[in-house]
Amino acid sequence: MAFEIMSGSQAAAVAVQRTGIDLVVAYPITPQTAIVETLANFDARGELGGEFVSVESEYAALACCYGAAAAGARVFTATASHGLAYMHEVIHWCSGARVPVVMANVNRTIGAPWCLDPDQGDSLSQRDTGWMQIYCSGAQEVLDTVMQAYLLSEELLLPCMVVFDGFYISHTYEAVDVPDEDSARAFIGPPSFEAQVKPGSPANLHGLTTGDNQVKLIRNRHEAMLRAPDLFKTINSKFAETFGRSYGVIDSVIPPGAKTVILAAGATAETVRWSLPKLDNTGFIQLRMFRPFPREEICSVLETHGVEKVVVIDRNCSTGMGGIFAQELRSAVYDLNNPPAVQDIILAGGIDLTFEMLESIIKEDKYQGQVEQIWGVDLK
Amino acid sequence: MEEMFEFRLHGRGGQGIVVAASIFTEAVFHDGYYARAFSLFGAERRGAPVTAFIRVSRDRLMPRSRIYNPDYVVVFDPSLAVETSIAGLKKGGSLLVNAGESKDGDFFISSVDDSPYHIYTVDATEIAWKHKLAIGSFPMVNTVMLGAMASLSGLASLESLVTSIKKRVTASVEANIKAVGEGYDSVKEVERLVT
Repeated sequence: MAFEIMSGSQAAAVAVQRTGIDLVVAYPITPQTAIVETLANFDARGELGGEFVSVESEYAALACCYGAAAAGARVFTATASHGLAYMHEVIHWCSGARVPVVMANVNRTIGAPWCLDPDQGDSLSQRDTGWMQIYCSGAQEVLDTVMQAYLLSEELLLPCMVVFDGFYISHTYEAVDVPDEDSARAFIGPPSFEAQVKPGSPANLHGLTTGDNQVKLIRNRHEAMLRAPDLFKTINSKFAETFGRSYGVIDSVIPPGAKTVILAAGATAETVRWSLPKLDNTGFIQLRMFRPFPREEICSVLETHGVEKVVVIDRNCSTGMGGIFAQELRSAVYDLNNPPAVQDIILAGGIDLTFEMLESIIKEDKYQGQVEQIWGVDLK
Repeated sequence: MEEMFEFRLHGRGGQGIVVAASIFTEAVFHDGYYARAFSLFGAERRGAPVTAFIRVSRDRLMPRSRIYNPDYVVVFDPSLAVETSIAGLKKGGSLLVNAGESKDGDFFISSVDDSPYHIYTVDATEIAWKHKLAIGSFPMVNTVMLGAMASLSGLASLESLVTSIKKRVTASVEANIKAVGEGYDSVKEVERLVT
């Protein structure tokens, strides 16, 4: 292992190369382009180890991944924003067909109008497609999570989306501890899942069925995904043995006596983590796994520490309701004996979160009590 | 909490400020700091204003916000808007401008004459031309500015910059190495009545 200076996008690409990938399917879109560009460079130097295919659209990119994964290949693609939206039908198809596709999505606002800033509405709009989603707060986490996503995905036969913020992570150059190829390959191993289609034995898959059959498949898929948090813990213990670092489905820092906790996913989580020592007696939860939602883990932390209020950082907004992480959290804590108040900070449009904004949320009188929603733009 | 040094770089698309920020990050990392560099741009095109941010600290954990109150503002092109470039620069901080004897340079420096921070210049355009670092009529000043940033801040050694340039720059490497050294040695403080 050695530290290298690289961007979050490059970190994702390096992780893919380290897995011993069979197929990368590429279609560029800002702010994801550097991922497929870095993989194309590996390919040009003969270092990718698998096939690199450029296609005509994001729809085709994911469709290729689906086909190759059905044939037993370890596959990767990356996209953002409109590209993810364009994939929508195939996104459902991958999870329904139970193929272990790993895809990176770099958050970017969906238009109209065109906007490049990192609103999380692209990945969150795919919440109910049957994919696991893991949000990363920096380049190191991106690299490590992409590697881990293959083990998660191939064991559960469910696709996994690794998500991180455009620019604040994708275009940020920082020191990343890069595993050498041998230890990465030893950690991941070859693909562990069976091919659904095999050359020489043609088959027609996923033909028309009835709701009575479909419900069984949906239930299987749901129950498989609920195994993800425990499996993620196992994978991370193994990861720690090899690489000396690990992650939880959530990570929390709760100082003794802290009654207010800030919950964040993605790049903003690191800004919150850094700000904690200057925010009197405030705790922090980084939401890493979003699907499946780590209800048990979050509730356990909140109950153990008697948390009274959770401030949720939402770089997104479900029009007509509000921040999506806040909605999910309210639903998750509903059955607690003393559910905490949930205050939603909306950074839709992918706007910046600064220490000063956090300071006014935590310290200013007008944001205490029953203020359920705060628009980030009002804090500037 | 470790001290943090914050830089904001202002330049134009094609001047290589994003590459400069990543080289600076690598050099200070080599010299014992953690650093992060990132940039903001719209549709990528030559000549459009580009902003890049660099944070440097002994601690790996740093915020991921933009930089609004930098310790250092570095202006790669003095024809950029003055107000936008200097916005939020800390009192007692440092402004470094690529300004030789040019109308734009003079205008930029005279506009900030009564400001409460130190003002430095380096004639990066001239040095870049001298070493034939240009794309057509567009001088590539980024390595000169890197040298100037390093000597001004004391956060990166010239040696580490050269190592990183050798690794990350593919064209005119020798000329760029000379340019970074000259930039390192050519920073001048603007003499004035300090407020």
